Amino acid sequence: MSRKRKKHRNKQEDVTLNLAAMLDMAFQLLAFFILTFKPAPVEGQINLNLPPPRPIAPLNAEVKPDDVDEGNGPAPAHTLTITISSAGNGQVASMQVGLAKLFDGPLNRDRLRMLDRRLKDVFAIEGKPYDQVLLRVGKSLGYGELMKIIDVCTKQKMADGTPVNKISFVELTEK
Amino acid sequence: MSAVPSAENAEPNLTPMLDMVFQLVTFFMLVINFQAASLDMSLKLPIIGSARPADKGAEDLLVLNVNKAGKVMMYGNEQDPVTFVANEAKEARLKLELSGKKVKKGDELPSLVVVRADLGTPFEMLNKVLTECQSQGFRKFALRAMTKAGDSKS
Repeated sequence: MSRKRKKHRNKQEDVTLNLAAMLDMAFQLLAFFILTFKPAPVEGQINLNLPPPRPIAPLNAEVKPDDVDEGNGPAPAHTLTITISSAGNGQVASMQVGLAKLFDGPLNRDRLRMLDRRLKDVFAIEGKPYDQVLLRVGKSLGYGELMKIIDVCTKQKMADGTPVNKISFVELTEK
Repeated sequence: MSAVPSAENAEPNLTPMLDMVFQLVTFFMLVINFQAASLDMSLKLPIIGSARPADKGAEDLLVLNVNKAGKVMMYGNEQDPVTFVANEAKEARLKLELSGKKVKKGDELPSLVVVRADLGTPFEMLNKVLTECQSQGFRKFALRAMTKAGDSKS
């Protein structure tokens, strides 16, 4: 009697799960993930803080005591204006830093270097506290060209070593 | 008589294979990136070597895919940028109100606006989008670009 019981117990222990169904499902999931897998592109970004527009003071303007910010509104900024007129194909037609013309024609490496050198010279001058750059951009200038110019601007440092990160845009009315 | 193994007993041990498959499934589940779904891969972004890698913080992002026509692309659909930004700003204000902060239209919103524009998008169109964002209260912007030339191919 007891032998028979023992044999019966051993039979129960041998029960195995059929894993084939689970494996099928796991393969289905795997196939789904493999087919939908698309690695995210490596993108970089240029961070900008674009506050609401505020008055622009010319560089040689005298600061009157009444103009001093007392917490009621933003102080007038000393702004370096870069004027970029555009050609119809989205390229740069000409560029002007401040009042001086920098070049005519589309952007290339040499011209970008020229812009970089000019901006370095401008920001290196002590006592000329430019604290932001205003880009006056032609209507049809492409985003790609604009980014090249912004890239050069964000690389600049002011006389005290702080990076130039206040950049704003204005649409240039072209004839 | 020696026992001849019957066909019923010739079952492979599936456990290691199942283990491996589950490992792979787990890997793909962890790697899957739902945020990438909001990126429009048809846009050709400019290549800027010095662009900083995008922050992967917990910041609230508003991704704007701007195509050459100046329209915002969202999951393959073209949308008017003005209404799209206005709706997103409304939602952001509602979120702030629910957390107990009182905000009105034009007040600063904490979201970071990520602009992914096609390299051929004219400034006129891009400026429209940026101005609308500013008027709705967005202050922080990130202009996206590719860091390597090979990545611009989608």
